Amino acid sequence: MPDARTGAARPARSHLWAWALMALVLVGALAIGRGDPGPPSDAQRAHDIATEIRCPTCRGLSAADSDAPSSQAIRDEILRRVQAGQTDGEIRAYLVSRYTVDILLNPERHGVAVLVWALPIVAGIAALGALILAFRRWRASPGVAVSAGDQALVDEALRR
Amino acid sequence: MNAALGTAGVALALSAAVLGMVTLAVGLRRGDPRLLSAGQRYVWLILGGAVLSVVAMEAAFIGHDFALKYVADNGSRETPMLYTISGMWSALEGSILLWSLILAGYLAVMVRHFRARAGDHLVAWATLTGFAVAAFFFGLMAGPANPFKVISGIVPADGQGPNPLLQNHPLVAFHPPILYLGFVGFTIPFAFAIAALVTGRVGEGWLVETRRWTLFAWGFLTVGIVLGAWWSYEVLGWGGYWAWDPVENASFLPWLTGTAYIHSVMVQERRGMLRVWNLSLLVSTFALTILGTFLTRSGVLDSVHAFSESNIGPALLGFFALVVGVSIGLIGWRGDRLRSPGAIDSPLSREGAFLANNVAFGAFAFVVLLGTVFPLIAEAINGDRLSVGAPYFDTMTAPVGFTLLFLMAVAPALPWRKASGELLHRRLLWPAWAATGVVVVCVAAGLRGLAPLAAFALGAFAAAAAIRQLVLSARAARRQGSPAWRGLLGRANGGMVVHIGVVVIAVAFAASHSYGQRHEFRLDPGQTAHLGGHSITYLGTTTVQHANKKTLSARVRVDGGQVYEPALQQFPFASQAIGSPSVRVGILDDVYLTLVAAPEGNTAAAVVGINVQPLIAWLWIGGGLMGFGTFLAAWPGRRRRPTQPSSAPAVASGEPSVTPVADEAPVAVGPHA
Repeated sequence: MPDARTGAARPARSHLWAWALMALVLVGALAIGRGDPGPPSDAQRAHDIATEIRCPTCRGLSAADSDAPSSQAIRDEILRRVQAGQTDGEIRAYLVSRYTVDILLNPERHGVAVLVWALPIVAGIAALGALILAFRRWRASPGVAVSAGDQALVDEALRR
Repeated sequence: MNAALGTAGVALALSAAVLGMVTLAVGLRRGDPRLLSAGQRYVWLILGGAVLSVVAMEAAFIGHDFALKYVADNGSRETPMLYTISGMWSALEGSILLWSLILAGYLAVMVRHFRARAGDHLVAWATLTGFAVAAFFFGLMAGPANPFKVISGIVPADGQGPNPLLQNHPLVAFHPPILYLGFVGFTIPFAFAIAALVTGRVGEGWLVETRRWTLFAWGFLTVGIVLGAWWSYEVLGWGGYWAWDPVENASFLPWLTGTAYIHSVMVQERRGMLRVWNLSLLVSTFALTILGTFLTRSGVLDSVHAFSESNIGPALLGFFALVVGVSIGLIGWRGDRLRSPGAIDSPLSREGAFLANNVAFGAFAFVVLLGTVFPLIAEAINGDRLSVGAPYFDTMTAPVGFTLLFLMAVAPALPWRKASGELLHRRLLWPAWAATGVVVVCVAAGLRGLAPLAAFALGAFAAAAAIRQLVLSARAARRQGSPAWRGLLGRANGGMVVHIGVVVIAVAFAASHSYGQRHEFRLDPGQTAHLGGHSITYLGTTTVQHANKKTLSARVRVDGGQVYEPALQQFPFASQAIGSPSVRVGILDDVYLTLVAAPEGNTAAAVVGINVQPLIAWLWIGGGLMGFGTFLAAWPGRRRRPTQPSSAPAVASGEPSVTPVADEAPVAVGPHA
């Protein structure tokens, strides 16, 4: 692998152009591909809410995924309220009052439940910070003194 | 008779494990190689006891010995033979029995493999640790999870049979044993890690010794998880394959830490660094298999309020605490020898990428663990009952998943030590164009949505990087006069095949998640529904009375061709009918049919659930590729075997002992070598 050692430290200008062109194509394609979702239909909204509601009678499934009669009832209720013009929050609040708070598969972002959202972010930042600190320390470490004889041996080995 | 034999087997294995531990401990204390050798031979008694109990259990199942409570609960005269045999692992006690058998098997293979070095203290300590784990599991069966309990009073004439969900798909016979081969397999590297810590031979020797054992376990865990997803797709009838259910998470957690380990271990083998981190990952992987068993088998999470209902829970929790406590204690005690002299020069290097990989996998595991146990935490804090479900896991893990795909693309192109811009340009430009090309083609084909397009782009990037690596390696093999397929062998190349498998799964996951369509149709006989480019015609129903169940199936013609039969099955001991889906499997998409509501009569309308999801079949193909890649990675290839004893003997001065690691590249082992 001679390239690892002899390569220029700075990429040539033509290289930058190649990457810039590619970035342009990629961003353009993604901009078209993002699509224009527009306002969701009532059925779509009702489905989206139902995916975040637990099926009350089965284990581990959402009301959107389950065939159980209780889930069917929840789906109908959500759709009725969506059509009546209620907001997502109002519908969720109704379902919580009708059942209990553990009907929500997506924990709320207040109260104790905020921990389940915040802890991974805190831990992630801490891990990244530790990594950056480690690299700083490694950079500051003196490294290994190489004698001229060793260096000659390495150069010899690389030439082969 | 069966109960007596089974109990005798458990007692034999338990006492052999304890006696073996005592013999090894005395042998280690006296430094007597004959005692060490004798102590390790107890493994054959453990294996004999385990085989005896399993044979007794299977004999009881096949012979319908309902005097055994476990057989009466999980077997019946009408259950087909396959599910009678798999009945052994269809409930808690039998699962522990299967676990113990596999553990005994692993330990026996380990002792045999290292028999020439029976006097080596590292091997003796590893065996001792393995025996301790075995003693715990056989102890469970001798105490709180006894599979050979006898029914007091009248023996029933027939049993209940397994849970209906565990007797309508053959995968049930394969998924649990394969998954357990993965779970239990991590015991061996864990035992060597403990042995390395105790003996102070914390150099790289034990890593090299256990490399293939870890890969073996990891491969089976991977395949086991994919088979579990497949089973769930084929049986549960909701059209999905992964629900972030506690049981699934419990199998996924050790996979995450294990995957982090098999990557970061390469940094240690190459550079002698990250010793504490690798030990912690390995210990976590093993501990998480125990914690997972606790979470899913003790009933803590199945119903949040039944903590005291099960009596196996405290034992498992105690064992988990013991494993964690002993490991942390040992790592702390050996802290001075674990310090490594090396430094990572640049984040833009192979080892830098492995570190990033570890942060990502660590974050992934943390999110999954936190989400799984959070209902317990919340209830402990203020009594709140809440759920943490799929939307949470999807939101939190998606960014990590994208990061991992990106790393999979970039890392194979990065050299060790330090990368230059020129080098990255040359190695990454074409993979990156492949990614761009895929996005352009997908958008032109009319696919919309940022998340799936990003997943396809990163998937193509990673796949192209892996293919590039394989092509180079095949060419190199040709240059050396070997056939090109030899370029697929060995850790790096097999790893690239695994990466391609991961990409296939990621793409299939993103596609089925984003472009799936589902709808329920009320159809009269002869009526046709259309969904996702498919036509589905309901023809009528058929009722069949089997020995163990009554099946009401709807006959449904898909795309004017073959007829599929989604069904409702009524088992005698189950209150509710169990839906069993029928799937038209395709390379491009699956048509997943369920019978939601049976018609009142043969001419009435039935409610048929139709779920059209693209690329589902590729999830299983990707899983197969991952297993195949693991096999290639474990292939000996042309790697030289280390002829020296695994680790240098312990040095008294507290200097870390360092042994040169046999590797394909003898250059750049590390600054201290």
